[in-house]
Amino acid sequence: MLCAFGFLLALAAVLQFSLRAYVPGSLDPGGFTLANFTDLLKPLYARVFFDTVVICFLTAVSTLIVGYPLAYALVRTQSAVIKSVVLVIVVTPLFLGEVVRTYSWIIVLGNNGFINSVLLNLGIIRQPVQFMFTTFGVVVALVHVTMPVMVIMLAAGLSHIDRDYQRAAESLGAGPIRVFLTVTLPLSMPGVVAGVTTAFAWTFSAFATPQLIGGGRVNMISNLVYQLGFSSFNFPFAASLCVAGLALTIVVLSALRLVARPLENIGPH
Amino acid sequence: MKRFWLAIFALAIASPAQAQDKLVISIWGGSWRDLVAETVAKKFTAETGVPVEFITGGTIDRLNKEKLAKGNPESDITFTTSHVGWLYANDGLFEQLDLAKIPNAKNLADEARISPFHLGAWAYVYTIGYRADLLGDVKFDSWNDLWKPELKGKIAGPDFDPSHIIAVAAILSGSDAAHWEKGQDKLKALKPNFKAFYTNDANSQQLLASGETPVQIVLSMNAYYMIGQGVPITLVIPKEGAVLGVDTVAIMKGSKKAELAYKFINILYDPEIQAEIAKLKKGSPAVLNAKIDPEIAKLPGVFTTAAQWKQQINIDAKLRAEKTAEWRKWFAENIMN
Repeated sequence: MLCAFGFLLALAAVLQFSLRAYVPGSLDPGGFTLANFTDLLKPLYARVFFDTVVICFLTAVSTLIVGYPLAYALVRTQSAVIKSVVLVIVVTPLFLGEVVRTYSWIIVLGNNGFINSVLLNLGIIRQPVQFMFTTFGVVVALVHVTMPVMVIMLAAGLSHIDRDYQRAAESLGAGPIRVFLTVTLPLSMPGVVAGVTTAFAWTFSAFATPQLIGGGRVNMISNLVYQLGFSSFNFPFAASLCVAGLALTIVVLSALRLVARPLENIGPH
Repeated sequence: MKRFWLAIFALAIASPAQAQDKLVISIWGGSWRDLVAETVAKKFTAETGVPVEFITGGTIDRLNKEKLAKGNPESDITFTTSHVGWLYANDGLFEQLDLAKIPNAKNLADEARISPFHLGAWAYVYTIGYRADLLGDVKFDSWNDLWKPELKGKIAGPDFDPSHIIAVAAILSGSDAAHWEKGQDKLKALKPNFKAFYTNDANSQQLLASGETPVQIVLSMNAYYMIGQGVPITLVIPKEGAVLGVDTVAIMKGSKKAELAYKFINILYDPEIQAEIAKLKKGSPAVLNAKIDPEIAKLPGVFTTAAQWKQQINIDAKLRAEKTAEWRKWFAENIMN
């Protein structure tokens, strides 16, 4: 209760800062104004807000595609070795900070990085492919950051599926692909919805990854908050970006929840 | 039992007294903290017997903390960049300095006398650093060379502060930083040549070392660090001058150890200490009477004479404090995105 009160106070402080004028050369904000919010209507900010939603969506979907097989193997495999390998792949990123993980991706994605070196040595490309400072590079690194959360959510969803449903389908002549598509996948929808929603919200607040991999060319809301607010001491404008970002998160997650509700109902009861 | 409680009481009153017998310095972490610890603080403790304690953190974190602690500062002395120092000063966080208590300050370069509240501790430049091994025949004599078409998608600059290139574009357009708007079109023409923007020293080093951005508007001290690590960087001072940067020192208002703080600052301006700082960081001493190793003195961005200081592009720190947000916003809206 005390924590919730603390968070509410902090939010109230951010809100009141967002409605105050920036005074050049001063740390104290000026009088009340809506100018910070009207500034947000400029095309640049609308584009960064849109880019943020797109990056979150791409990351959530890509993480689902990469994470589902891992979660499936984790839950269903009988082999202790496979289980351990999957666990290591899934859990290791959690032990590294976001900055360390992101720097690792710089080494992998750079012009002289691992991927380009391999492709150049194999003669597949003649010039390095630009992965750094692109949306693709940012999404790849964010998928790595988000994957543990997704796999944990999916594994929880998959482990709740009664194996008898699949056995029943098999006994009626369904092959493994049909069993997966018509039984396992629909029954795992609650896990999928939870995973995608969490990954989406998780990515929304990403900072270090788009900051370093995006190199100022791919920006998310948090990067704008840093660039325009904190690195130039314009705290009122930074606060208005935070408030708008929070509102956008609530709207997008509510919409996602609305769309996902029918899918959730497919799950086991 | 009585003796036990007496001992506890003695400890209780002794501990705060010990805690007061130290000078607290607020500074950036890492090599900056070490720089001051190994030079000024070492000599200060040797001369006064007073230990020095460091509070480290980023520029904004430390500024916010001190604003919250206004009147009862966490530190006695703060090191920060010249224009950020103006934010402290404007908010009444710095003590007005009594230069009579800092005799060594008489040798300060004019450009290091930032305000009645904060003085330059050392200087550096933001200038052009490039990887000649990756660029071939490209040469840099003027800032104008950054606009060459062959540098398309090759340049990086700091994302946290565009003031350097904004001032340069204004000067190349026949104006100055105060009338920076005249350089806007010039700056927009540079947009295709920017490949990325670095977010901190480590990021700058990584982009140059990997060759990802073979040309940078770079902090001279950072470039020298990388050169020391074996990265083949060429640092040039364009004919218009490099953009001068000054890190400053100030006494916090409300410090109960102001006299010790004055002693500390006076030791900072000791010519030998300044020479040591120049040697360790390959930056410029803030005083003009430091005896610099000739090998260090000849490095671009190290100034030993008043004339050298004056040849650089010096953006007024107060103007920069007032304009940073406007510049940063314009830069984000028109160049970065």
